[in-house]
Amino acid sequence: MKTNILNIIIALLVSTMLFSCKDEVETTKVNPLEGFIKLEEGYAIGAAAKVEVWGKKNFFMGYNNLTVVLLDSINPTDTLKDAHIYFQPLMTMPQTTGMPMKHACPVENPDEAAINGVFPGAVAFVMPSMGGTWNLGVYVHNHKNDKSGTVNFDITVDSPTTSVMSVFTSQSPDSAKLVLSLLQPLVPQVGMNDIEFTLHKKASMMEWPADSTYTIEIAPEMPSMGHGSPNNVNPVHVGNGHYKGKVNFTMTGEWKINVAVKKDGTTVSKNAYFNITF
Amino acid sequence: MYKKLFFLFLFFMHLPGKAEPRKQKSAISDTVKLKEVMVMSNIPLDNKDIVNFYRTNQFSTLDNINARLGGLSLIKRGAYALEPQMNGFSGGQLNVTIDGMKMFGACTDKMDPVTSYIEPTNLKMIRLKSGTNGSENGCNIGGSMDMTLQEPTLNTKQSDFSSIAFGYESVSKSRNVLFSVGLGNKKWAWMADGVYRKTENYRAGNGQIIPFTQFEKTNVHSVLKFSPDKMNSFKADILFDMANNVGYPALPMDVSLAKASLFALEFQRKTKLKLKAKLYFNQIIHVMDDSKRDSLYLLKVKPVGKSDSVYMRMDMPGKSSTLGAYVQLIIPWNENNRLTLKVDNYSNYSIAEMTMHMRYAGFAPEPPMYMQTWPAMLRNVAGIYVENSTYLTQKLVLTANVRMDYNIDNLQSEYGQQQFSIFNYSLDKVQSKLIKSVNLLARYDFTNDFTLTSTIGHSERMPTIGERLGFYLFNAYDGYDYIGNPDMKTEKSNFIKLDFQLTKPKIKLNVSPSISFLNDYIMGITDTKIQAMNFYANGIRVYTNVPSAKLFSTDLQLLYTPIQNFSAFWLSKFTFGEINHTEAMPLIPPLKNIIAIQYQKDELQVQAECETALAQNRININYGESKTPAFAVFNIKGAYGFTLSKVLLNFSTGITNLFNKAYYEHLDWGRIYRPGRSLELYIKMSY
Repeated sequence: MKTNILNIIIALLVSTMLFSCKDEVETTKVNPLEGFIKLEEGYAIGAAAKVEVWGKKNFFMGYNNLTVVLLDSINPTDTLKDAHIYFQPLMTMPQTTGMPMKHACPVENPDEAAINGVFPGAVAFVMPSMGGTWNLGVYVHNHKNDKSGTVNFDITVDSPTTSVMSVFTSQSPDSAKLVLSLLQPLVPQVGMNDIEFTLHKKASMMEWPADSTYTIEIAPEMPSMGHGSPNNVNPVHVGNGHYKGKVNFTMTGEWKINVAVKKDGTTVSKNAYFNITF
Repeated sequence: MYKKLFFLFLFFMHLPGKAEPRKQKSAISDTVKLKEVMVMSNIPLDNKDIVNFYRTNQFSTLDNINARLGGLSLIKRGAYALEPQMNGFSGGQLNVTIDGMKMFGACTDKMDPVTSYIEPTNLKMIRLKSGTNGSENGCNIGGSMDMTLQEPTLNTKQSDFSSIAFGYESVSKSRNVLFSVGLGNKKWAWMADGVYRKTENYRAGNGQIIPFTQFEKTNVHSVLKFSPDKMNSFKADILFDMANNVGYPALPMDVSLAKASLFALEFQRKTKLKLKAKLYFNQIIHVMDDSKRDSLYLLKVKPVGKSDSVYMRMDMPGKSSTLGAYVQLIIPWNENNRLTLKVDNYSNYSIAEMTMHMRYAGFAPEPPMYMQTWPAMLRNVAGIYVENSTYLTQKLVLTANVRMDYNIDNLQSEYGQQQFSIFNYSLDKVQSKLIKSVNLLARYDFTNDFTLTSTIGHSERMPTIGERLGFYLFNAYDGYDYIGNPDMKTEKSNFIKLDFQLTKPKIKLNVSPSISFLNDYIMGITDTKIQAMNFYANGIRVYTNVPSAKLFSTDLQLLYTPIQNFSAFWLSKFTFGEINHTEAMPLIPPLKNIIAIQYQKDELQVQAECETALAQNRININYGESKTPAFAVFNIKGAYGFTLSKVLLNFSTGITNLFNKAYYEHLDWGRIYRPGRSLELYIKMSY
């Protein structure tokens, strides 16, 4: 009985706190495009929609956060908030003999309901534009009018000075082609940082699904000093091919994060690493 | 009841004609006066005699004097700035103050103890108190060392003076210039003193030149005193000390600049009550530098692929500023009681940074690697100290003292918080703690000649900034990188000391054994889960509270004056330390003896001294120790003075390490040989 009363009191207290907290929280307007720049825009003919593609910087080899803004093509002040959007990246590589080779790359398509009025998604370009030409198709199924169409952008994918992606062939009997992208830390600092990877597996030229069946281990290292850092947390799968963990930097400088991708306890990657300098 | 007491108190305060209490013997401190000023007669044996031995060549640094004080030993990392250790305690376990003023070195590696910023020319006296009883200037467990700066005397014939002295030491080609000037009248007096020293690498007893033992330093101190009447006086001190190009052969780096400045204002009012108020500020800037070192200097086996092509430089600047004030009141509240009240507050701001610059030959330099080895921290300590001495009988004096310090650590740097997130700490910006110290002393005069003083006390001390938040501090002694522990508990001590003093006309004898039972003793414990930072580090040690430790110390001092003009002095110091009832405490000196004989007639003085130490075989290998052999070193000195048309000339000469012995002491880091035979010359002209 006593505990019951206590529980009630606690519940009351907690609810008051929650309630009062809710009161205090102001509904500040979030600008979903803060820090983003408009990379491409065009009309998805047939869907009566104007498509804008926003990114943090120009397309690069690696995991690109791309946000789509959909506008009604007749009334461009009207943003569309309900649509199916599919990224359809395509690389065309001319071959010395025969047909050009074509392939896609891993994508994360936006939800059909817009978040803060926009459609965040991602495309992980697996190579820069040097070996061929990249084309980014954006398929839109406009739920407002139930029409659909595609817009195609000819884009240039840069090669970043510091690599944030490792595309490798698994050292296992299936010789699967794996795409390991580094998402975080974007602004590394001394101390504990979140580290995040995505892992995708090439199923066919056009299909690169997320894979959660691997494990990832990290070992940061400062090559010139010959030391690492303590208390790192190996990334674990959190859904949709994303792996999250913690990485520690004891000082600024040039760090190398060695990554081992493992399948059933056996390392299948080969000397994969990412440099982080700050 | 309290009301009654209060009125009783008032009554005693107003007893006419009883203003002066009985001359109370300061039985609780050893006092060393460094000049020809009167020696406190109530102390049978006060090291004066042994200090005299060194006074004749004043160009020796303070370290030379400290080495000859009872209970003191010195931790040596180079030819300069030796760190005092008292009865096995050092660093944050000691209160080292300048006339009660707090000052903290700015070096994470203890390369700049406060004593290195003070010169013998600046000093009037050094007061040592051992164990928990050294809490007058702050709660502490190991003891206190308070250095009083020189000050001019008002209204005396000696108030106008000037002197200049030159000294030379052959072993290190050490050149020294010292000066002191004074001016004064009835109400005003001013004096200034200073020294310039330049020393090259010295030669050890085996003929080897020891690299990185050079240093150069300048020290100037000026003090102005104003006394409008007999009761009140004001004093302003300015001290400036700068050392350049200081070598530390036992460490992987040297010091390009160590600069200290100190400003102090003092007011004193001496009536029946004695009031002393002081306001002070001091700042130390310390720049470590390894630009003259091979970057792989300390490596025994150079790693493959990381040979000489590695070119790394470390910048390690540190800064420590302290602002403080205190008010002290001595109240002789009745004939048999004297009360001392002291209220003090200080704030210390410390920061130490490390930036490593790596460049492999033929490659562009790498981006700098930066960290805060002492994250910026503001520590404020407010304290109150109360002491009362009571003459219970003619023969028995009881003294009790209590101190409380309220310590607030305010972490100024977000960087420090981030750094410690690596070790899974989520640091609060502010951490505060109240710490206490209690001591009880009883002094009993068995006869006129024989006195026993016993002390019993309990105290605790705050961990230092390095012990709390140090971040990869390399310790060249055991070769480990040290990391602080933000949740460190205070270090505690229960202390017992006995002090036997015999004072006969021809023999003065003092034996003072003491023991400290320590709890939560702070030391670095190896953590194999954390990787070392440097190629040359053996691993990581994290500062930890060890449940128990013990330190036993005893000093013997004997002064024998069989005939006039001739005296013999014997000082022995012994310390024994133990951790957790089993392990030997590292860095504990073996039995050390100093025996000196002196002949003095008129202006002629001849002295001979023998310094010996037993071997230290009780060592802790885990902490980088190895056995140290015994040694004996002999020194002789002579001095003569005469007046030549109003100018007083003093000459002195001496030979230290007469037999050119190659030796080192147990507390000498890196087992680097001490200087070999050296001829010293000193001339002083005073007007």
